[in-house]
Amino acid sequence: MPFLSRLASLRRNLFSRPRVERDLDEELRAYLDQLTEEKRQEGMGAEEARRAARLELGGLEQVKEEVRQVRTGQVLDEFLRDLRHGFRALRRNPAFTVVAVLALALGIGANTAMFSVAYGMLLRPLPYPDADRVAVIYMRYFPRDFAFGTMCIRDYLMWKESNRAFEDPALFRSLRMDIGGQEGVPEQVQGASVTAGFFSTLQAPPLIGRTFASGEDKPAAASLAVLGESIWRRRFAASAAVLGRTILVNGAPSTVIGVMPGAFRFPRRDTEVWTSLPLNPPTRYGPWFYRGVARLRPGVTIEQAQAETNSIGLRMMQQNPYYKRLTMPVLGLRDAVLGVTLKPAIMVLIGAVGLVLLIAVVNVANLMLARATVREREMALRLSLGAGRGRLVRQLLTESVLLAVMGGSAGLALAWGGIELIRAWNPGNLPLIDSVRLDWSALGFMIFVSMLTGILFGLAPALASARADLNSTLKEGGRTGAGGQARGRARAALVVSEIAVSLMLLVGAGLLLRSFVNLERVTGGFSTPPRQILTVLISPGSRKYNDPRAGLAFYDEVLRRARNVPGVEIAAVTDSLPPDQQGDADTFGMEGQTLAPGETNPIISDATVGPDFFRTLGIPLVKGRLFTNRDTQDSAPVAIVSEGFVRRFLPHQEAIGTRIRQSGPALGNQWMEIVGVVGNVKYLGLTVDTDPAYYMPFAQNYGPRMLLIVRSSGDATQLEGALRREVQSIDPGVTLAQAATMEQALTLSVSQPRFDTMLLSLFAGIALLLAAVGVYGLIAYSVAQRTHEIGVRMALGAARTDVVRMVVRQGAALAAIGIALGLGGAFALTQLLRTMLFGVGVTDALTFAAAPLAMMLVVLLATSVPALRATHISPVLALRYE
Amino acid sequence: MTLLQGTLDLLILKALALTELHGLGISHRISQITNGTFQVKPGSLFPALHRMEEAGWLSSVWGDSENNRRAKFYRLTAAGRRQLKTETRQWETIALAIASALQTS
Repeated sequence: MPFLSRLASLRRNLFSRPRVERDLDEELRAYLDQLTEEKRQEGMGAEEARRAARLELGGLEQVKEEVRQVRTGQVLDEFLRDLRHGFRALRRNPAFTVVAVLALALGIGANTAMFSVAYGMLLRPLPYPDADRVAVIYMRYFPRDFAFGTMCIRDYLMWKESNRAFEDPALFRSLRMDIGGQEGVPEQVQGASVTAGFFSTLQAPPLIGRTFASGEDKPAAASLAVLGESIWRRRFAASAAVLGRTILVNGAPSTVIGVMPGAFRFPRRDTEVWTSLPLNPPTRYGPWFYRGVARLRPGVTIEQAQAETNSIGLRMMQQNPYYKRLTMPVLGLRDAVLGVTLKPAIMVLIGAVGLVLLIAVVNVANLMLARATVREREMALRLSLGAGRGRLVRQLLTESVLLAVMGGSAGLALAWGGIELIRAWNPGNLPLIDSVRLDWSALGFMIFVSMLTGILFGLAPALASARADLNSTLKEGGRTGAGGQARGRARAALVVSEIAVSLMLLVGAGLLLRSFVNLERVTGGFSTPPRQILTVLISPGSRKYNDPRAGLAFYDEVLRRARNVPGVEIAAVTDSLPPDQQGDADTFGMEGQTLAPGETNPIISDATVGPDFFRTLGIPLVKGRLFTNRDTQDSAPVAIVSEGFVRRFLPHQEAIGTRIRQSGPALGNQWMEIVGVVGNVKYLGLTVDTDPAYYMPFAQNYGPRMLLIVRSSGDATQLEGALRREVQSIDPGVTLAQAATMEQALTLSVSQPRFDTMLLSLFAGIALLLAAVGVYGLIAYSVAQRTHEIGVRMALGAARTDVVRMVVRQGAALAAIGIALGLGGAFALTQLLRTMLFGVGVTDALTFAAAPLAMMLVVLLATSVPALRATHISPVLALRYE
Repeated sequence: MTLLQGTLDLLILKALALTELHGLGISHRISQITNGTFQVKPGSLFPALHRMEEAGWLSSVWGDSENNRRAKFYRLTAAGRRQLKTETRQWETIALAIASALQTS
């Protein structure tokens, strides 16, 4: 049985190796003896016969090696032996092993963590079937000019009618909702109002109950609600009896028909209630609250859909002269959820972390090269004893892959920690953070990267070792010869490339840091310290407060009680706050202004604010007066405008006394007289340059849902509880939500730049550290090799400073070349950062000067240790050592 | 003369067809039955022997040589005899084909 025979051989070869070897040895020796005997019988002398026999046999060891090569399980056996040998070699050299494993762990760990982030954000399937066939439809037009703006129902109906690219279109808007009912105290949650096709477009089945059926968005349809899993657990104890119950949504009864699973998070991560949106036939354009969501018909690409949608947009524009330069951007669902700025940032970070790995690999390759020099004799000896060159390469590669896998495993632990940290903290406020986790794909990635790096940094040294010239190496007796010199040059080149790549990362991180500092320095246009401002969104709940008289009385009471809370210095209400587009925007009319037919003024920020708003935030009054308690429903309508407004719309005219009115002329709003000019406030985000705004007094432009803002004498976070108690004691139906200090709001608004900056700085830091280790290793090694030379120099009278200068010069030369190359690379690569920078150019002189300086400093520091050590070389010992 | 690829196995099987032999005996036997055309060197002989033993064609046993020295003797197994038949048939087919190819003018 050939197969059984092979199996038996395999077992014997692997597990009874000593016996097999002894057998082979005996067999060959017997052969040799017999041959010698024969030669003697042919008449040779004893010595001559033995020589002749040996010659005929060839090398005993070579023959043995040939026999070993044909043994069953040879490859496996060699691999296992290489592995054992590799382990032993690594254990013999703990310093080398620790440094290499640490470098690899940093490199591979950072990459695995970043891979998991990128995979979760960009690749992991969204929790909706065929999500890549779903798109969100926006509208962009002038004068509004929001890149991903909203449309009105009239626009939607027209688009839906002409649309052929999509099936199942639906319309939705996000809004805050007051949820009340018999089940508990009222609360404010994030909600969405959606048409009947919303859930079927996303093909998202409910946890229990059902979702909206077609026709349930008809004008007279009953008001229905679908709950999210979290609010269902919180308010209804996860009871199935919730189906069919009536809850109050913004004061109106609504019947619960289903519950969505927690993984369903659209349109926002925190959306908890979806109500049916009745498509009432619109009598006019507006309000522009809505976005569309739809599934591409089979065979239609998103580009084709975009083209068709644009052509529909063109017709919309022709029908309504108010729309200028109208387009309808179509974004894939993933891009819509992620936002368009995150993807390029993640790509940049992936590139950066890849460079870190490259540096780690170069570092380890460098260490391997240094070790290869030491092991040259071992390799030459093995070659001369009959080992094949391929065999040697394989052995060395096994060692390096082993090293890489050790580094990778340690890196996996690092990555796990890093991901847990990112998940718990979510410093970037990343939208798909739930799908970032360490899983099989990350593990696979780690193993793949480890293997790849092992081969990458092991191959060159392995090939170099196997090419070794036996004669000269063995004769050299371990002293470095010509091969050593070539290797030294290779090591220097590697270190130079490390310096260059780290410098590129350093420059990138420097630019982001500068940009971030600029962002932090930007003020929202108000002087009260953000730490001392607390804001909270108030909803009075009951519909009776929709009446301005009841509502104004309610807010008077809110403000009175808020001012009485200890620690509160001043309080006000507003419907808009910097810095994150929290607020309204509208066009306006100006008396005496002549606009072409269909032409309107741009849409700008408009805010409805109570009397003390400007004083609470510390917005300076430039001219005229602020709103007072005497600006009431019955007094003459007034307005305040910002400096930016005056500069842009009233450059040659006295602002005070000019009359403006809200919205387009079609609404026929009443004229308001401008009574004051205040400083600019950044309602649209910190990075927006000009943000003209107009303000209307709360009493003359009432709305029930307002933000209460208070200025505290100290830390504002302490006030939340007391404010909540005071306000809720006015009416138990009142809800408060989104309590936050201005400081928190500002922090949140720069969370993504902070995330980018933090990670890139971290990567640059690791790179710098690795480069420093690389430089140190090279210089230390070279000093050790030049011990003799340095000894001679010192014996001949060289001073210690001369020695230090000599060694440091070597490091400085490497740094100079690396920095020159790195600057070139940085000029090319920082172009990628252009969109991520604020207030700093991609070729910022300060960064491009500081980064090389820092690099040089680190290199000199890394060089100085071995340089100082060199001065302690004793000439006597150094010479005797020879 | 160098051996054709694959012919060494056949020659070893043939050499062992009559009786068991040790390594040196096998190389002498091959030299003998090929009228001295092929001299098998130990560097090829031993790997082949070990390979064939692992394939189950040969079995080996330690014994005493003619001059009372310990030596490893190889003999054909049943599988080895079958292999000899198969390879002989194959070789005859090849030889015939090559011969006829060379005869055509």
